[in-house]
Amino acid sequence: MPDLGDLVRAAVEAAGSGEAVEAYAEESRQTEASALRGEVEGLEFAESRGVGVRLIRDGRLGYAYAADPSLDEVRIAVGSARENAALTEPDEFNVLPEAEQATAIPELFRADSADVATADKVRMALDLERRLVSTDPRVTKVDLAQVGDAVSRVAIASTVGLDVEYARTDAWVVAVTLAVEGEETQTGFSYRIARAVDELGVEAVADEAIERAVRMLGATKPTTAKVPIVLDQFAAEEFLGVLASALNAENVLKGRSLFAEMVGRKVGSDLFTLVDDGTILDGPGAAPFDGEGVPSGRTELFTAGTLNGFLHDTYTAARMGSGQRSTGNAKRGSYKGSPGVGTSNFYLDNGSTPFAELLRLADGGVLIAEVTGVHSGANPISGEFSVGATGLRIEGDALGEPLREMTIASTLPEMLAGITGLGDDLRFFSSVGTPSVLIGEMTLAGV
Amino acid sequence: MLDRALVEEVLTASRSRGGAFAEVFVEETTGTSIRLDDGKVEELTTGLDRGAGVRVTHGTSYGYAFSNRLDRDALLLAAEAASAALREGEAGSVVDLRMLEGPVTNAVERVAAEVAASEKVAWLRELDDAARAFSPEVTQVVGVYGDSLQRRLIATSDGRWVAEDRPRIRLVAQVVAKRGDIIQTGFHGPAACAGVEFIDANPPRATAEVAAKRAVTMLDSIPAPAGEMTAVLAPGMGGVLFHEAVGHPLEADAVDKEASVYRGLVGTKCASELINGVDDATIANGWGSFTFDDEGTPGQRTVLFTDGVLQSFLYDRLRADKDGVGSTGNGRRQSYASPPVVRMTNTNILNGSSSPKQVLADTSSGVYVTSLGGGQVNPATGDFVFGVSEGYLIENGEATTPVRGANLIGRAIEVMSAVDAVADDFDTWEGTCGKDGQNAPVGSGSPTLRISKITVGGTGA
Repeated sequence: MPDLGDLVRAAVEAAGSGEAVEAYAEESRQTEASALRGEVEGLEFAESRGVGVRLIRDGRLGYAYAADPSLDEVRIAVGSARENAALTEPDEFNVLPEAEQATAIPELFRADSADVATADKVRMALDLERRLVSTDPRVTKVDLAQVGDAVSRVAIASTVGLDVEYARTDAWVVAVTLAVEGEETQTGFSYRIARAVDELGVEAVADEAIERAVRMLGATKPTTAKVPIVLDQFAAEEFLGVLASALNAENVLKGRSLFAEMVGRKVGSDLFTLVDDGTILDGPGAAPFDGEGVPSGRTELFTAGTLNGFLHDTYTAARMGSGQRSTGNAKRGSYKGSPGVGTSNFYLDNGSTPFAELLRLADGGVLIAEVTGVHSGANPISGEFSVGATGLRIEGDALGEPLREMTIASTLPEMLAGITGLGDDLRFFSSVGTPSVLIGEMTLAGV
Repeated sequence: MLDRALVEEVLTASRSRGGAFAEVFVEETTGTSIRLDDGKVEELTTGLDRGAGVRVTHGTSYGYAFSNRLDRDALLLAAEAASAALREGEAGSVVDLRMLEGPVTNAVERVAAEVAASEKVAWLRELDDAARAFSPEVTQVVGVYGDSLQRRLIATSDGRWVAEDRPRIRLVAQVVAKRGDIIQTGFHGPAACAGVEFIDANPPRATAEVAAKRAVTMLDSIPAPAGEMTAVLAPGMGGVLFHEAVGHPLEADAVDKEASVYRGLVGTKCASELINGVDDATIANGWGSFTFDDEGTPGQRTVLFTDGVLQSFLYDRLRADKDGVGSTGNGRRQSYASPPVVRMTNTNILNGSSSPKQVLADTSSGVYVTSLGGGQVNPATGDFVFGVSEGYLIENGEATTPVRGANLIGRAIEVMSAVDAVADDFDTWEGTCGKDGQNAPVGSGSPTLRISKITVGGTGA
């Protein structure tokens, strides 16, 4: 089996004169164990590798990929990319990034985590499920109790002289509980992504999934009203995904972002500082370089409410002009597609207000603990959103009756300008992080 | 794709610790995708993906392993890994493999792979031109064309040998319209398991115009009202709601985990008597159609509701064996990289007898929903939400001003029980369904129908 580095170099060597070629190779080994009713529910092993080739000739871009290719098949992929490029239109901004040496982040690869035996991960999933069903009498069943990990490597080489690779380990735990009382069922969800299996904190995830289900028992539908809202970290995180799309420079350049004309303008409240940083180790999105080999960096998108700029890859930076450089935000879903703009560790900067104080400030309002339908109900182009929600009534500085079957609706600028408090509880679940967020007033629709 | 002796050897190795059955799934998929954006054909991608997955089952437990490589060593390694999930047991046997035959569900007239890429590029240009010609307020167009051919082989230790090719084709238009500071979008993306004849029947121009009309219409929209009201759903849209809110809780894995609101309700009335619903994999060239599912069970038409009475859940092999019933052919997977999960095919509410015009005319006030942007359900509680991407106010029996920023929220059983009119103008809608980290193409369909009371989320008065 050829080495990843050999595969990408073979592609680069197959470039013709006047062609810019970049090859991206990845391989991963993944294990995922889930438990149900005290038994192993599923145990999955995945081993995959593949190569994607991006070829630019006279500004025309072609792409081709192959799963687990031989060196010859990589050369064939270069030929396919060449044929594909002949059919697309020239774009002067189709360029490969200059080769720049990224700083290695050795902490991303935890050798001891890569060596954890499958049996140990299975045991963790079984322990997780046992804890989920034996802590609270109302929670005796789970929808999902899962522990997984992956070891992956990435290599990129190009005709511009790029030749880089790195390895990483990732681990995750997911818990979904069912709390039952009488005829009513409520679900509770928690998860965590970490660098290594021993950093998962499985018990805390279990306890949170139990608590989040149990406290929803007895939920009723509220009446329609405008009320103060606190978004907990689970709910706030969902909105960051919509913001990420609207701050993607490709969407900005192509007239698909409400923020297109707002650089330098104060959009959010003073509390709103939004950052993308691929170098901090707190979030799972850390990497030495992005999907086209550009070193990761820190980009402050909003500072105290003012929009500074957007997330860029090499293409959008070239097209934006005015000396704009890639922010190291070229991301790939897999080797099957060319890179596009995406986030690394994307987070709302921490606030200073203790959670109980946030609640007190929102007395009579609602803590939103979950929002649903964000992918269809929030529009990153117009900025409007209307999403489903569940949560709890706020009474003083405490949480009161649970609420379900309601919606919250507003626009992104109104919501960002309406932030009147930020918790001191910044938390990364995945590569997206946020503290709890207090919003002065929002429309909450129920009965 | 693999010879029979090797498949038998892999199955035998998979049964080294026994279990209920073992299964090998082999796939080779080729495809083309072309993206037009900002007036340019930006990118053309072709690729080859292949691999094989081995599953070993015991009750509702399973082990799964896959490899990108199809050689003997890699497959035997996958077999060993998958069987390691089982406790030590007596080795199981492998029954003689017998080729299962079935009718061709997805016949192809013109194979997409045999059509020049330049012709496909021309479709995208037609789409772009038509969308921009529709209105000067159209400011941006994305067109995406995709075709693929998935060749599959499924063999099981209890003797199934199934080979089926699945052709897919889709052309999507996403249009942005702008007037002053107002930006709105429109989407349309017809799709089928078919060949290029599908594009002939659904020309790029027509697809572009539907999306462009949607975006431009919404420029006139006012913020949607909030609160409980009557909703009339245009043809196809009731199917989207039925898929999400009702179909997912009817999947037997949710039922088995006691995470379904429909658990224990087969044979009881839990929808309006106007609701007759099916899940049907046998519809010719449907986006969710196939001859065999990804476990080698023949695809079928499963009646879910008759006059509002729940008839059946949707089953894969594991859950069917546990319940002592037959699989309904709903074991599907995204690719060789994933084990099958229980999921829908084409999920439809059947025609009723009302006239669609009359349904609207009989509605004094409410919202008329002509396009849904997708939704989400919690199968355990039945709580669902849908974004409305095109909708109108209903005033005195007529659809009037367009509304934006609306969603529909409710609980499956209550909302399906509140359906008080079903018309006779059935139409379909093609989508992508996400479950357990896997995506699958699904069809849904319905005639015009009315829900007497549902919560609409919006910002307006």
